[in-house]
Amino acid sequence: MLKKVALLLTGIAVVFSIAACSEKLEAGKSCPLLCPEQAITLVDTTIDAAVSDTTIAGLPPIGAEGYLMLASHGDTVETRAIIRYDTLPQSYTKSGVDSTIANIDSAYLITPIVKPDSLKRPKAPVTIEAYDVDTTATDTVAAILAPLFRPDRLIGSKTFAPESLLDTLRIPVSTDSVLDRVKNGTKLRVGLRIVSTQGVDLRVGSTTLGLGVTLHITASKDTGAAPVNVAPVSNTPTDQPFLSGPLSDYTIVLNGTTRTPAILLGVGGVPSRRSFIRFNVPSRIVDSTTIVRASLLLTQSPNRRLDPHDSLYVYPLAVLAGPAITDISSLLQFVGTPGQFNLDSLRLAPADSGVVSFEIVGLVRTWRGQSSTVSPRSVALRSAVEGQSPGEIDFFSTKAPTAVRPRLRITYVPQTSFGLP
Amino acid sequence: MMMQLVSHATSRRIGAFVVALLLSFVPAAVRAQANLSAQGFGFPTGQFSTRTWGTGGALAELDPLSPVNSASLALIPTRLVTFQIEPEFRSVTTASGTDHTTTARYPNVFGAIPVGRGWVLSLGASTLLDRTATSVFNTTQFLTATDSVPMTTQFRVDGAMDDVRLGAGWAPASWLRVGVGAHAITGHNLISITQSFADSAQFATFTQQRVLGFSGGAVSAGIQLVSKVVTAGFSARRGGNLDLSSEDTLLTSAKVPNRFGASVAFTGIANSAIAVRTSHDDWSSLGSLGTPGLHAVDAWDTSVGADLAGPRIGDHILFLRGGFRTRTLPFQAGDHTVTEQSFTGGLGSAFAAGHVLGDFALIHSSRTASGLSASEHAWTVSLGISVRP
Repeated sequence: MLKKVALLLTGIAVVFSIAACSEKLEAGKSCPLLCPEQAITLVDTTIDAAVSDTTIAGLPPIGAEGYLMLASHGDTVETRAIIRYDTLPQSYTKSGVDSTIANIDSAYLITPIVKPDSLKRPKAPVTIEAYDVDTTATDTVAAILAPLFRPDRLIGSKTFAPESLLDTLRIPVSTDSVLDRVKNGTKLRVGLRIVSTQGVDLRVGSTTLGLGVTLHITASKDTGAAPVNVAPVSNTPTDQPFLSGPLSDYTIVLNGTTRTPAILLGVGGVPSRRSFIRFNVPSRIVDSTTIVRASLLLTQSPNRRLDPHDSLYVYPLAVLAGPAITDISSLLQFVGTPGQFNLDSLRLAPADSGVVSFEIVGLVRTWRGQSSTVSPRSVALRSAVEGQSPGEIDFFSTKAPTAVRPRLRITYVPQTSFGLP
Repeated sequence: MMMQLVSHATSRRIGAFVVALLLSFVPAAVRAQANLSAQGFGFPTGQFSTRTWGTGGALAELDPLSPVNSASLALIPTRLVTFQIEPEFRSVTTASGTDHTTTARYPNVFGAIPVGRGWVLSLGASTLLDRTATSVFNTTQFLTATDSVPMTTQFRVDGAMDDVRLGAGWAPASWLRVGVGAHAITGHNLISITQSFADSAQFATFTQQRVLGFSGGAVSAGIQLVSKVVTAGFSARRGGNLDLSSEDTLLTSAKVPNRFGASVAFTGIANSAIAVRTSHDDWSSLGSLGTPGLHAVDAWDTSVGADLAGPRIGDHILFLRGGFRTRTLPFQAGDHTVTEQSFTGGLGSAFAAGHVLGDFALIHSSRTASGLSASEHAWTVSLGISVRP
């Protein structure tokens, strides 16, 4: 009997000891009266930490645009989209049997677009024209391609009401032109131009994001005949797929190219550009304290050239390249993804002005205890719609007057011998 | 008074089971909150057994399960392992409101073994100062004249200053017991501070940890004199150097507090004791261990209590206990000395043919600091299990 009692009491003791481990922690109403320790004081400092900066135009490189920018703003900006169909099929399937393409009933360019938002929807009908831009010359150069957009090379067009610009446009193209290429086994290279009575921008899908413009061929009216869909393919430069692949489709700028003056840092624009800022943060701060806030303070310079009130996101990005790469243009192509290191974007309009603050504490914390060769103390700035939209955000650079130069505001917890009562 | 430990060959497995289970809880983390009692380097749990707690602490100099007077070790006739758990349910009231918190403690564990000719050796660890505490509070800091940030700070301390004692007790005569002890003052405080911000887009959470380690030594000695109706016990501890270090850096040094105490018990009633005790700790010697703002004060600890034989459960007596204790706590809250009064009650008996001793105590403590509009009330439950494997 006593054994049972002892076991019972032992069990109670075990349960009791487990229950005793369940503690209630949250308390603090007696602070600061009784709390032996108080909050650690934060120190806030703003320093001219940017030691160099620059803007590089032409990024992303040709062919790497997420979407193709089709813009028409008269003398301000004119762009064209080039799509290469360097390999065309010569047969189609009819009732399960392959047949040689001898005629073409219809041919369309199935063109995915980004639906313009309500503020940017065209006010007037827009016409998209397709031109045969095949040439033996270097066809990534605007000066060579521009003359090819002429009436005798027009192979198709269609006019769209503003409200019909939803997600995919079907642009008919000349069946004779396509059939000629198919029969001769030659390439078809198409240039798209947008025309309207008012300035207009349209973002067209590209192969970079798997949304390339598809050539849709119907070779026979027979219902048993399967249409042929041809994706953009580039075979030039030959034997260099690393280069030829991205050139399946790309944007060229016929006019409106601008340069960013040295006192400014540009983001977006035409041609699209990225900016690079290198910092020198004192070791006594970055290595010997704990940084809780790091704000890159940039003074925006209004840019009213094009779409001044059409806001866009600007991303601060970590530069991931190692010390072996010193070319800034290359560095700006080895950048982190948006949101990496908890870097947050800002939505800005080109015409805005004043000081803006990019929060980069997640990146600055990675610099602690690391040499600048291991963890480069630099930041890249890019537009979320670079190469797709002509809007450009400008900030004053380190060459600008002192008051508007880039600054770094750092809030940190100093090294402290906490814990001693 | 001291419960008889009967030697039996049976129930060995039960004892082993109990010890294994209870010892498995020793490493459990303990935490607490801002309060009056855990100022400075923490709360002195008293180094009492559950039995002694039941008498308000009055039996501390006479009880072999309390690691206070090593002379009492000579009372232990067989091998023994003891373990103790003590959750405290505490309310701290200030003008800002009342916090209700729960703190778990495991303040006393030790084993003893007779080695012949009246000698008993013991090795045990007890909590000298328990600093476990967690404070969570909200503040707003102004970074500039126009820039401020609301933030939540959690300041957490885990750990304690512990007293590891190697003791020996000897009973050269039926009326005399003597003992000595060598103490290693060890333990650590794991301190972590976390500051989080309402604006998580701009601010990243700050977290930092630090471990403060204690290392020091002390020696103690005690004596017990036994007559037919009175038993008296005296003990003293002489403190040596005590260092506080972080990693391999010595931060501060101090002296382990000296202590002396005496209990006198009337034992004229069979299996019962009515006792009074007082002791004095030189806590002020710890003052140099902290920052200049740390105020440690010497303190008296006085108690009166009784351990009375009650009804029997089978062959074993159920002991009924009660007591009162008043003392000064070692660290001031600001410049205000903190005092504590406790009423205690308890039960105890033997089980499993005397192989298991179980003690239970319930303590209600009121802590105040003169001149400070804050009060603290706590219910502490102490459960002690001793096993003779």
